[in-house]
Amino acid sequence: MAIDLLHDTGTPLERQRLTWKDMVGKPISKLDDDAFTRVRIILMNGLELDSLRTKQVALRCNAEARLPLAQLMRVEQHQATSINWLIGADHSPIETTIGYEQTAIEVTASVARLEPDAYLAQGYRYALLEDFDHLYRYSALLDRLEGKDSNNITQGYTDIVPARPTWVHHRAPEHDLLEPYGPQAALATKLHALTLTGGEYQTHDYYMNIGPLFADSLARQLYAEIASVESQHITHYGSMLNPNETPLEKLLLAEACEVWNYAGCLEQETNPRVRSIWEKFLDYELGHFQVALRLFEEIERRDAAEVLGDGNLPPHIRFESHRQYVREVIERETELRKKGTQHVDRDEEGPSSLDYREAVNADGSPSEAVSATYSWAPGTELTRDELVEA
Amino acid sequence: MESTATGANRTGTAMSPANTRAMIEAVEELTPPAVVDLSLSKALRAEFIAEAESVGSIPPPATIAGAVKTGLSTLAGNSPTTLLDKMGERLAFERSGTRLYDALLTKYEALVRVDGERFGATLANAQRDSAAAGDGAQGEEPLEVLRRIRAEELEHFKMLSAAIERLGGDPTAQTPCADVAATAAMGYIQVLTDPRTTLAQCLNVMLSAELTDNAGWELLIQLADDTGQSDVAGEFLAALGEEQQHLAIVRAWLEALMTNEIGTAAV
Repeated sequence: MAIDLLHDTGTPLERQRLTWKDMVGKPISKLDDDAFTRVRIILMNGLELDSLRTKQVALRCNAEARLPLAQLMRVEQHQATSINWLIGADHSPIETTIGYEQTAIEVTASVARLEPDAYLAQGYRYALLEDFDHLYRYSALLDRLEGKDSNNITQGYTDIVPARPTWVHHRAPEHDLLEPYGPQAALATKLHALTLTGGEYQTHDYYMNIGPLFADSLARQLYAEIASVESQHITHYGSMLNPNETPLEKLLLAEACEVWNYAGCLEQETNPRVRSIWEKFLDYELGHFQVALRLFEEIERRDAAEVLGDGNLPPHIRFESHRQYVREVIERETELRKKGTQHVDRDEEGPSSLDYREAVNADGSPSEAVSATYSWAPGTELTRDELVEA
Repeated sequence: MESTATGANRTGTAMSPANTRAMIEAVEELTPPAVVDLSLSKALRAEFIAEAESVGSIPPPATIAGAVKTGLSTLAGNSPTTLLDKMGERLAFERSGTRLYDALLTKYEALVRVDGERFGATLANAQRDSAAAGDGAQGEEPLEVLRRIRAEELEHFKMLSAAIERLGGDPTAQTPCADVAATAAMGYIQVLTDPRTTLAQCLNVMLSAELTDNAGWELLIQLADDTGQSDVAGEFLAALGEEQQHLAIVRAWLEALMTNEIGTAAV
């Protein structure tokens, strides 16, 4: 179904009401629901929270828009709750983490393939290989700490092997930045960057929240390490965003991004109950978009077409396995590094990153320790005969 | 690594009588005690329970041979897929149990490095004094016993994997009971892997794990018999015998530490 962003009005804001029971619906089944239902939940929770975050910042920067922003935020908050609470309590924190990394991998791979700007597409592929490696390290932790198989979560869609090793993800801050898209960038470019920024932000926040809840010292360190990398990824993707966009322009794009992503989820969702949530929230976001559009036009006196083009939404993220594509990227680009905003060969890496890496790894590398000799096997490492006695 | 000793535990009201009196005054003014009525929270929870779906489903038999075999068993009037669900639970428990013993071994070896062998003799005597600990425990040092228990848990896991496959199931699948049991066991992992917990505190948790394990095997044997799976019931009986020894050893060790090693790093 084609969305007319500028003219489909959706549900009016004043009719967007959820009860606590609406927000705390039946969770998905960890066992029976498709992994991509969990991926969509994780993604949309991240996007809702980033939309909320954007509005909180805009509230601090724009006196006239404060009231409509506060009204919009109330609904975004409750939408985020409704979505995030779909994850059932039988997901252990590491199992949810596996879901987060699968989301990062498959969504980033799809975006990398869709992105029309070759430089930014390289940027997506770069971080893809790092999140892909995180899945392998966390899988080793899940196996060796809890005795569980991460494929119970990833359901065969995503390989569990290393890529660019996590211990070399640690870069000096100046080498995390990318060149931002310009004002003439395609709408797809803008929505891709916003989507990944929001996704990584929530991943970071999730790891920061659960890291200290582990008793195991290696788990605590691994989460500290990977949360730091996710913080780098927020900078990586966030620096793709044009810093010259005004807060209300960013608000308009955030709402368009939510509409675009809900439409993509609705189109591909296999769980009927979750599908109805995507449908309802798509209508909510169309309603939010109208509010943001009015603010943009009335306060900034600008034409939305400047920001959104003709309002046609770009092709949706494909929620499917990108196994072959990821393997090709691993083959070609694992050895790439960063120097300033450029992707370079390994021996050209910015020297300050080498210094930083040496310092932060000085007491050992948790990602290396947790996964040394780890090789995923169906039913866990304990099925392998060549185990060494503990 | 430290022993558990008397110190500045601030959690009880006896530590701050004046503050406690102030809090009680506030309560008496603002929430004077009344007859406890939990009906609102119970009603809310009951609604969710009534509407809830199951955790998930038991995977269908993976092979035709298995489907035939489990189909035959339905003639006995019991659900063969229930057996597969509970075997999946036991498999997951043995697999996680192997990791629990990995953690216990790490803790034990660290303790030996810090506190020498002083408590080793205590544990060795305890296992030798326990008739239920089995013949193996008579001649083994505690470290060897731990390694053997770990190896036996691993063997139980592999035996269950093979048994599930013979019945046409998929041993890599997470069954509903495996999922629920894993949720219950999350606390075990937290205690065993916390660097602050003592060997005695860990053995206390392992006691819970082994008691659960023993009860689980007993139930599984019953279910296997009920569904006419006498071959696997025999294998389960052998595993139960080993689990009974594990339980006896863990219990004997814990009692010995609590009796003889108070004030040391092990307790």
